[in-house]
Amino acid sequence: MTATDTIKPVRAGLFTGDLHDLSRIALAGSRCQDCQETTLGTNSLCPNCGGDDIAPVRLSDTGSVWSFTVVRYPPPGDYKGEQPFRPYALGLIELPEGLRVVAPISGDPDNVAIGMAVAFTPRLRPDQVVEFAYKPIG
Amino acid sequence: MRDVVIIGAGIHPFGRFDQTAEEIGSYAARMALEDAGVSWGDIQASYLSRMYLPATSGARILRKLGATDMPIVDIEAACASGGAALRQAVLAIKSGVCDVVMVLGAEKMPRGFMDPRMIYADWQIEMGMSLNPSYWSMRAMRHMHEYGTTDLQIAKIAHKNHRNSVHNPNAMYQKEFTLEEILGSPLICDPIRRLEICAPDDGAAAVVVASEDYARKIGARKPIRIAACEHTIARYSADFRCPADSMSARVNNEGPTEVTAQKAYEQAGFGADQIDCFEVQDTDAFCELEIYEELKLCPRGEGGRLIDEGVTELTGKHPVNMSGGLISKGEPVGASHLGQVHEIVLQLRGEAGPRQVQSAKTGLGHVLGAGGNCAVTILQA
Repeated sequence: MTATDTIKPVRAGLFTGDLHDLSRIALAGSRCQDCQETTLGTNSLCPNCGGDDIAPVRLSDTGSVWSFTVVRYPPPGDYKGEQPFRPYALGLIELPEGLRVVAPISGDPDNVAIGMAVAFTPRLRPDQVVEFAYKPIG
Repeated sequence: MRDVVIIGAGIHPFGRFDQTAEEIGSYAARMALEDAGVSWGDIQASYLSRMYLPATSGARILRKLGATDMPIVDIEAACASGGAALRQAVLAIKSGVCDVVMVLGAEKMPRGFMDPRMIYADWQIEMGMSLNPSYWSMRAMRHMHEYGTTDLQIAKIAHKNHRNSVHNPNAMYQKEFTLEEILGSPLICDPIRRLEICAPDDGAAAVVVASEDYARKIGARKPIRIAACEHTIARYSADFRCPADSMSARVNNEGPTEVTAQKAYEQAGFGADQIDCFEVQDTDAFCELEIYEELKLCPRGEGGRLIDEGVTELTGKHPVNMSGGLISKGEPVGASHLGQVHEIVLQLRGEAGPRQVQSAKTGLGHVLGAGGNCAVTILQA
């Protein structure tokens, strides 16, 4: 078994595509065929209507910042971000599929603004776990 | 259905103490019994509101008052635990099964940000999405963007609550701060600052709840009617204060405060306009501003105007957080709503001393937290 075989997603069902090629993965979504709501990750039931007719969708790579904050203190618990801690932006990223995803926004947090265009950026952590953030574009 | 009244209220100060949960909880419970003029042996059922205390804490705490064979149940609904517990008491009495019951809220919590494993998944913790204030702050940033709400308006709410706390010996912090001090305090999560946010702590509060007939029979002093006690969970995508990982951008459901308050107003038969005083979930100062709008004290987007005009000051038309709010008292989660109820009971009895709202006859308590749990209680003299 090689080291790359142990690569894992930070949450099961969060990504679509081969985790060994981060340039080709995307966030996975679940679209309810009854109420048309799309939720993050692979879900077997719709949290809106309870329906179980769910289709997997590949979420768009780009979206816009609907709201954000700057986290200025280290979060409690087993935070795997930069050490030593540096303040970071956390946003609600609106995607064309009709949902807003909570995610960190990389780069200088003081340059983030509502409405800013951002792109999905997966990251392989040193512990061989794939997580994600968004980065400002354009 | 029978009317339900509060015949006694007690409180242990909110703050940080060496005493055990058993000690502070039984202190508040005894005070409520004494205030009601009933003995522990008269109580037919008890409900403990708590989130962080271990299993069967209700039995552990209330055992100190003496052996009993009554049912004692722990109730948990995050920050709304106290409302959920009070509601069980109301239902027990309305059903006719009980005539007089105890509702106790008690908590002991570690310092600092709350343990994220209570409400977040591991992946959210690892990615830095487990800081409660970050979710409140994203709401604030969006509100500022849409309605032009300002840092100064948010700071004014913290200023009001800290100033009110000076008159509340049960608050953890009883210190007034200037607007400059508040706006100069460190940002926790933009735009929310250290002096605009509540801290977890220890505390307990209790009420003795009875049927109106029972209150009359024992000649209860100044019974306070529970006009409404509602508890709801947020509708789909209606609140990202809870540890949501994604929200709908298509659905615009009413938030849990709006839904719960509407139910409570219908139950009470009157609305915000006819309520004389409010104790609400100021987890942070912006949260209180948004609650003004959701309780229908003003239209959406005008919470900032309300604080500018002084409407929610102690001497305003609709005073909010006369006790100093959670910003001053801290939030011992299980005890916080019962603490609000204790404050409103004092107000409606005219016993609130220097923080008394002139001729208050009605009051509302509101709590809101993880999972979109919300509770609203309306009391009437």
